[in-house]
Amino acid sequence: MSTVIEVSALSKSFGAKQALSGVNFKIEQGSTVALVGPNGAGKTTLFSIICGYLKPDMGQVDILGHSPRSAALFSKLSALPQDAQLDPKFSVAKQLSFYAQLQGMDKKSALADTQRVLELVDLSHVAQSKTSELSHGMRKRVCIAQALLGNPEIVLLDEATAGLDPKNAKAIRNLIASLKGHITFILSSHDLSELERLCDTVLYLEQGQLSSHQSDLHQTQQGSYITLQMLNLNDQMQAQIAQLQGVTNVRQTQSDELVIEYTKHAEPLDLSLLTLIHKNQWTYKQIVNGRTLENQLFID
Amino acid sequence: MNFHRTWLFSQFELTRLFATKRGWLAVTAFSLVWFMVLRYPIYNAVPFLNSPEFEGFVSQLAGTIGLNSLVSWPEAELAIFWVIALFTFPMFALFVTADQTVEDRNRGTVRFLTLRSARFELLFGRFLGQVMILAALIGLVSIATLVMMSMRESSLVGSGIIKSVAIWAKLLVTCLPFIALMSLLNLVTNSARMSIVFAILFFTIVASIITYIGDVYPMFAWLNYLIPGHHIGDITGWQSSSNFALLLPIFQAAALLGAAQFILRERDL
Repeated sequence: MSTVIEVSALSKSFGAKQALSGVNFKIEQGSTVALVGPNGAGKTTLFSIICGYLKPDMGQVDILGHSPRSAALFSKLSALPQDAQLDPKFSVAKQLSFYAQLQGMDKKSALADTQRVLELVDLSHVAQSKTSELSHGMRKRVCIAQALLGNPEIVLLDEATAGLDPKNAKAIRNLIASLKGHITFILSSHDLSELERLCDTVLYLEQGQLSSHQSDLHQTQQGSYITLQMLNLNDQMQAQIAQLQGVTNVRQTQSDELVIEYTKHAEPLDLSLLTLIHKNQWTYKQIVNGRTLENQLFID
Repeated sequence: MNFHRTWLFSQFELTRLFATKRGWLAVTAFSLVWFMVLRYPIYNAVPFLNSPEFEGFVSQLAGTIGLNSLVSWPEAELAIFWVIALFTFPMFALFVTADQTVEDRNRGTVRFLTLRSARFELLFGRFLGQVMILAALIGLVSIATLVMMSMRESSLVGSGIIKSVAIWAKLLVTCLPFIALMSLLNLVTNSARMSIVFAILFFTIVASIITYIGDVYPMFAWLNYLIPGHHIGDITGWQSSSNFALLLPIFQAAALLGAAQFILRERDL
């Protein structure tokens, strides 16, 4: 895998407020990266610097071997910037095909590609509508569609599913999942379960600093942790689970959730855990191989 | 700079005027205003200009204000159109070209565009688009004036076409720094309306101060060359040396666009 984005010692401040401070990370080709952090942590600032909308005070950003704003990145790097809107005076198709033409397509190919990306977000029927005639969610999906015009290598989506209804949010998640691998995605969202499903790497920003950079989100190495959500969880259940072979620690992280730490053993822990649940006629809600993103970021 | 992308931006600006309902309303309003100007002031002034009874008076008056050569034009409609257009089109240009990038910047649309093009391509493409819009509108009125003149005297059509093209070109060049000024003001204000307000303040307060300084301290008289439209007095009378004066608006436009590019390159979007 090759590095597509490398950020070194990146700093940016707005007046007295330090938005980013000495941020370093690398993103590998084809990965799907979650950019997480509380409000004001610097996520949008980082997105804006990568896209070339803002200039950093210090540090370097290297994207596919080029600096942000380089002409070599046109049509290779695309983005859904937060709160950016299309021109309400023109139709969706006119604007998207214009963007495609800017990316180097001729008029015919631009129209065909516009149709393709609108179909991806299930909005081909609004191609001739002006954006002022669309709902907030539709406008958002059109903006996601513009990010997929042509063959971008890197796509940055800032709060892509914020404001979308559950059905369309799921459709966008499915779309991203289907394009994973071909495109390097960087996603910013407050929905950790969404990021957990889509991403393999997490960048956690807090007060402008990168406080966590994890690249084995889904615990591809077998073992170590199981997260168990139970109905009517009680101390007796926790004690019995702690007795299972290989379990080294059981920690209650929520009223209905246990994080079980274990070492690898002859009999897989998930099997003995399910046997225990069945034998005692307990009801479980969910078993997760590894720890949830929420636990990794906020509990550990 | 990529010329294809720049050209795409300018073409898109043309569709803003000629392919939207709002644009057609503006063109209709513009046409109606000029229809009134042609029908009443210009149409009624022509017999007066051509009348032998008033010839001496008109020549004397025109000579006083440096318009001698204009009153000798047999294409009287074009002469009057030239004087009216020379003083109104630059101001009109400020209003027509008031929104080049500012509204797109407020809406965040430029963020989509700058991922696909250089900032200067956007700036210059939009400027070029506005120049093309002004060219079309000036052309429209020039043709209308020519048609009105040919209805009075069809033998003047040949010479009238040559003069119309010259008028069209001179008016367009005169408007260039005004359009470029709006390109610049779009980057330092937050709305098209504020850009117009700043332009009005510039032409009333700043230009007056510059003129005053130039009058009191002649060593600073060169500052007048910074004011768009400074050359208008030199070309109104269609003097033979006036073509040289047309270089000034070209230089002014280039300087204003250079300043705009510097600001756009440095600013956050």
